[in-house]
Amino acid sequence: MAIKIASIRHVRGFDIARPVSIGVVLGLMLPLVLLPMLSIFIYGTSKGLGVFWSSLVAPEAIFALKLSLFTSFWATAFNVIFGLLAAYVLSRYDFWGRNAVIVTISLPTAIPTAVAGFALLLLWGPYGVLGRLLNGVQLMFTAYAIILANIFVTFPLAFGVIKPVFDTMSRSLEEASATIGATRWQTFWYVTLPSLRGAIVGGALLTFARAVGEFGSTILVSGNLAGRTQTAPLYIFAKFNEGQIEAANAIAIVLALLSFVIFSVLFFARDWLEFEAQEK
Amino acid sequence: MSAKLKTPDTAELHESWAPERQKRNGLAASVQGLSKRFKKSRVLEDVSFDVAEGESLVLLGASGSGKTTILRIIAGLEQPDKGRVILHGKDVTDLPARERGVGVIFQSYALFPRMTVEKNIAFGLKIRRRPRKERRETVNRLLELVRLEEHRKKHPWQLSGGQQQRVAIARTLAYKPQVLLFDEPFGALDAQTRVHLRREIRALLKEVKVPTVFVTHDQEEALEMGDHIAVLNEGHLEQVGTPDEVYNHPASEYVATFLGAANLLVGVVTGGAIEIGTARLPAEKETRRFREGQSVKLVFRPEDVCISQDANLAEGCRRLANGVIEEVSFVGAYERLNIRLDLTHRRQSQDEPPLYQVTVNTPERMTGVPIMATRPKPEASATRFKPGDRVAVGLTSFSVLPNYTLARQR
Repeated sequence: MAIKIASIRHVRGFDIARPVSIGVVLGLMLPLVLLPMLSIFIYGTSKGLGVFWSSLVAPEAIFALKLSLFTSFWATAFNVIFGLLAAYVLSRYDFWGRNAVIVTISLPTAIPTAVAGFALLLLWGPYGVLGRLLNGVQLMFTAYAIILANIFVTFPLAFGVIKPVFDTMSRSLEEASATIGATRWQTFWYVTLPSLRGAIVGGALLTFARAVGEFGSTILVSGNLAGRTQTAPLYIFAKFNEGQIEAANAIAIVLALLSFVIFSVLFFARDWLEFEAQEK
Repeated sequence: MSAKLKTPDTAELHESWAPERQKRNGLAASVQGLSKRFKKSRVLEDVSFDVAEGESLVLLGASGSGKTTILRIIAGLEQPDKGRVILHGKDVTDLPARERGVGVIFQSYALFPRMTVEKNIAFGLKIRRRPRKERRETVNRLLELVRLEEHRKKHPWQLSGGQQQRVAIARTLAYKPQVLLFDEPFGALDAQTRVHLRREIRALLKEVKVPTVFVTHDQEEALEMGDHIAVLNEGHLEQVGTPDEVYNHPASEYVATFLGAANLLVGVVTGGAIEIGTARLPAEKETRRFREGQSVKLVFRPEDVCISQDANLAEGCRRLANGVIEEVSFVGAYERLNIRLDLTHRRQSQDEPPLYQVTVNTPERMTGVPIMATRPKPEASATRFKPGDRVAVGLTSFSVLPNYTLARQR
C-alpha cells in the first residue's frame, strides 16, 4: 500500500503530505484562534447594534478605553526612546557587565505580569521600599501606576526590535558621515535614524499593542477603580464578573479591532518599513 | 568607458575640486613616524611617506600589512600611538575626522541608503549649511563630471557598483577634500569591471587634481593607479618609489617578490662581479655599494632573462651561466620557460667550446638551479625551444640586495 502511494506521488506529482499538513494547520487554527475571535463579534452584535452602541458609549466604557490608550501611549513613548538609547549604547560600546545589562533589560519578557505588578506594589506602595520616601504622595492606584506597570512589562519589546538593526548596521556609514564633516548629532539624525525608521515604528506598534492589552500587572497596581483607574481589559473583566456580557463584549470588540489594525500595519507595511534593508 | 568622462569643456573645473590650501609643487599629505599597536600586536612601525600635490600614492601590501590602518589614521578614524599626520602643511593629528576635510571612499562605498544620489552628493554642503543655490549648482556640476545626470533621483541600491563608486567620489569632491582616500576601491568588483573602473577613476583623478592615497593588495592595480607606490610588509614600510623604481629596482626581497614574479639567487661580490657558484655576472655599477666578499642576493624578473642557443647573447645582455630548458608552457600573452642553471661546472679554458653539462636526463639535472624566464610571443615563435635544449642565459636587468643572515639587520 505504501508502495502504491509512493508511486502515485512520483508518477502523478501528487504529494499526500500537502493536503494533510494544510488540513492540520487549518483544523487547528479554526477552533483555537479564529472561532474565539468570531464569537466576540457574533455575541457582541446578537442583541442588535443599538445595544452594542449604547454599551460602547457608556461613560465608564469610554473612560476605560481612553485611559488604556493614554497610559499605553506614554509607556510606548518612554520605551521607544529608552530602547533606542539602550540599543545604541549596548551595540556601540563594549563595557564590563554589558551582557548582564542586556539580560536585565530582557528580563520582563519572562516574568509573569502578576509578579511584575506585585513587585511594583512592594516597591512603590504606601509602605514599599521607595513608596515610603514619597511623603504620603500616593503613586500606586493612579494612572501613573498603570504607566509604570506598562513600562515594566513592555520594557524589552522596542529594544529587542531596534538592537538587531543597530548590530547589523554598517559602521562605515557613520564613519563616512564623520569624514564628510558631520557632527555626532548630525550623523545620528541624518544617517543612523533614517535607517532605523522601520525598527522604531515596528517596536512602537508592538509595545503599544502589548500595553493596551496588559491585565495582570495593571489589576494589581491600579486598584481597578471604575472611572478612575480602570483600563479597558479591567473593564471587560469587571463587567463580565457583574454579568453584563454586552458591556464587556463591546469593549472586547474595540480591543480586538485595534489589535487587528496594529497587526495589519505591521504585516502589510513591512515592505515599506524594511525598505532600507533592501537598499543595503 | 573612460571616454565617457568629459574632458574638453571641463577646463574651468580643473582647479575647482582641489583643496583651497593647495600650493603648486607642495606636499599634499605627509605621514611622519606612524606607529600603532592593537593590544599586543604591532600594526605599524615608524611609517613615513609624503604625497605631492595632485599625485596619487598607492599603499600596497598583503592583508594585515597595516595599509588600511594608515588610511584610517589619515582620515582620523583611528589614532596613532606615535607619529604625525600633516595635510597641506597643517598638523591634523589631534583633529577629529570631521574637522580634517578628507574624502574617504570606503570599500563598500558607504552611500547613505536613505538618500538619493543627489542628496548623497549634497550631504557635505548641507551640513556645512551652504545656501541651497550653491548646493544645487555643485551637485549639477559633479553629476556631470561623474556622468550620472540621469540617475540623480535614484537610490544607491538601484545603481551598479561602478556607479555607486562614482557617487561616493562625487560626494567627497563636493566639499573640496584635502586628500582623497580610497580603501580597496575595486575589491568588491569582478575582474573586468575592475579594469574598466581603474582607467576611469585614473582619468577622473587626473582631471580633478586632488591628491589621492589608494590602498590595495593588487600589484597590477598599484602599478596602474599610482604615481608613487609605498610597499608595506607587516606594518613596516619596505620601499616608496615610482612604479618603475619599485618594479625594476626593488629595495628588498619582499618588494621584489610581492610585485610580480622574481628569481632569486645568492652570490658573493668579487671584483666588480657577482659570483654565483661557478658563474660570474659582471656588475660593476650594481656592486659598487657592497664590499668585496659580501654575500648578496641577485634578484631579476622572468622577462629580464635573455637566452640563446649559441653562445652569442643579444646586445645589452650580460651572460650569467649556461642552462637547460626544463619546461615550456604558454601562458596567454607570453611563453614561460623553466630553466635549470648550471652553477657548478668547472671554469672553461680558453680553447674549449661552451659546455652544457646539465641535462634533463642525467642525475646532474638535480644540481641545476631552477629559474623562470618569459618571452614575448614574437620571440617565442621565432626560436622555439623544447625541454632538454641547452642554452646560454643572460640578464638584461637585475637588482643586487644585501643578503643579511638576520632579518633584524634590515
